[in-house]
Amino acid sequence: MKKTVTIIVAAVFLLTIMVLAPIAWAKPFPRSWLYNSVAQKMTDTSKYKKRGPYTVGFSNASISNSWRVYFAKQVEYGAQDLYKADVKKLYVTDANDKADKQVSDVEDLLAKGVDVLIISAATMAALDPIVTRTMRRGIPVVCVDRRVTSDNFVSFVTSSNYAQGRAQMLWLCEMLGGRGNIVMLGGVAGSGPAEERAGGGREVLTAFPGIKVLDFQYANWSPSEGKRIMSALIQTHGRKIQGVHGDGLQTSGAMEACKEAGIKIPITGDHLNAFIVRAQEWGFPAMSIDFPVSMGTSAVEIAIKTLKGEAVPFIYEVPRTIICTKDTENIKSDMPWSKMVHKDWPDEAWINTLPANWLPY
Amino acid sequence: MEVSTHSSLRRSQTHVRSIFEKYGIYIFLVILIIVASIISPNFLNPQNLKDILNQSAALGMVSIGQTFVILIGGGGLDLSVASVMSTVTVIMAHTTEGQNSLFLPITGVCLFFGMLVGLVNGLLITKRKVQPFMATLGMMIIIQGLRFLYTKGMPKGEFPPIQRYLATGDIGPIPTSIVSLIGMVIIALFVLRKTTFGRKVYAIGGNINTARLCGYNIDLIKIAVYMISGVMASIAGLYLAGWIGIADNWVGKGYEMDSIAAVVMGGTTFEGGRGGVLGTIVGVLIVMMLYNIVLLVGMPVQMQYVLKGVVIILATSFYASFRRGKA
Repeated sequence: MKKTVTIIVAAVFLLTIMVLAPIAWAKPFPRSWLYNSVAQKMTDTSKYKKRGPYTVGFSNASISNSWRVYFAKQVEYGAQDLYKADVKKLYVTDANDKADKQVSDVEDLLAKGVDVLIISAATMAALDPIVTRTMRRGIPVVCVDRRVTSDNFVSFVTSSNYAQGRAQMLWLCEMLGGRGNIVMLGGVAGSGPAEERAGGGREVLTAFPGIKVLDFQYANWSPSEGKRIMSALIQTHGRKIQGVHGDGLQTSGAMEACKEAGIKIPITGDHLNAFIVRAQEWGFPAMSIDFPVSMGTSAVEIAIKTLKGEAVPFIYEVPRTIICTKDTENIKSDMPWSKMVHKDWPDEAWINTLPANWLPY
Repeated sequence: MEVSTHSSLRRSQTHVRSIFEKYGIYIFLVILIIVASIISPNFLNPQNLKDILNQSAALGMVSIGQTFVILIGGGGLDLSVASVMSTVTVIMAHTTEGQNSLFLPITGVCLFFGMLVGLVNGLLITKRKVQPFMATLGMMIIIQGLRFLYTKGMPKGEFPPIQRYLATGDIGPIPTSIVSLIGMVIIALFVLRKTTFGRKVYAIGGNINTARLCGYNIDLIKIAVYMISGVMASIAGLYLAGWIGIADNWVGKGYEMDSIAAVVMGGTTFEGGRGGVLGTIVGVLIVMMLYNIVLLVGMPVQMQYVLKGVVIILATSFYASFRRGKA
């Protein structure tokens, strides 16, 4: 009798684990995949199938700002911790934002005999030939964060910059009730993310003819540039400025300029800790949508799936979150703003999926 | 009779030329202010002028140090200043974690760090005979690497409130940063014009062989000026960090080139021996005003690079044309 009861209890226990485990470990699903109105293009990776563990090469454009530091850490975390059973070696190179150096970095990685190349390209055009040659040699390439011009890669792990700019602008326009004047602060002039986010923002503006852009300036994703430029814009336009569109690195500086000028206006950003903390502390209406650093870890996941011969999405958009201090008609918070505030984190920390021992400080 | 008229005409021409050479940059500053206020009425807003002054403080401080280094001649310049500025930012944020009580001792540490960098620069240049460009470039890269090793790319911590006040606060209508800058300018002027050390700096820059024959310890004075530059860079870094308020790895990026540009625009030449701190401060104000004007009139911010480059070329060819005449 006792033996029977024990067996039944054990079976129920196991069944419960089997049912609950998938729910407990369910990962957030990318919205963009769900809402994609065309068939999801998948890449057949069967020709890259080989037995593990694998040697992974990661060619990084640079760690020239804090986002890139966290992003690089996410790649390392993926290869050396989360998926360490499948990765025997990770080689990392840093090109200091120089395209020519990155080409030789890639050649070095190929010489080391990597099974897969993960690359965040310094520039789209300059890295295209070497990426194409790498694919032709039978070594799969996973682009992450930034892609190359051609489609000669297995997967591009990213998060839509257009969607980011659009969401920021939509929130801002709805906060202003469709009428008002704003300024736009961009990233580094000419870079893909900066141009695409500004482009996305401008697309949304066509639906709000009552919103006028007083000025658009590139602030190089720098808090000091953001503060300096915003101070000058406030001098030029004064209280005519009713909102600020941009990413957190420059808008956290711009927020301080607004605070010093005594104007508390709606401002957008991305999940930079300084931006999130300041908005709460200083009482600014704010909205943040991230360009997730976690795409670094997702790139490793896609690289391993490729080497296992599993089909992968050609464009893989990582899950992202939106938070607002105040929801609008079409832009709503995924969680309360306060949940993203980390007063004990550095100013330039980014919301991430790293365990505590992997945090880069 | 004709000879006498001709020579008195030449004397008055030389007099006018020397006024232009000496005060040209001040005249240009006044013209720039007039032009700026015409093209943008907001330029003369008290708040706008205050913003310009606040933003000029850090560049002014680092340029004072750079002036000493360029005055000494022999191709002297200090490319490591921006790296020093970024590193003291990180040291202050990491170690004080926002506590006022630690501000003074950690400031001491930061100044010591700047002095140490200057000492190494000076020793490389005097004892190992490394070209100043190469020595300070190498130090810039080394310090950058050390900073990244220390922070692992991610600076943490925050600045003490007193540092933020010093960089963004006011004493009456005047920003505290400007009060500090004025104090430093006065000290620098006193050192350069009223002390033996200052005279030696000019003498070595003017004619190093004569200075050697006069028995000056050239190496010691060269090391001292680089240490001054290091200390000024530390002070400037702390001010700039206090103004931004975020512990960023790249505080002061570009300030090495901007400070050299300000010094040269202000009339101090790379040959050494001529120029001074007042001209440098005017150069700093011109750089900052150009930046501000570009934004006030709605031009793309990249135009400030174009304008800055044009003004640098104009200023240096202006001085060169006067000095060519004398040689």
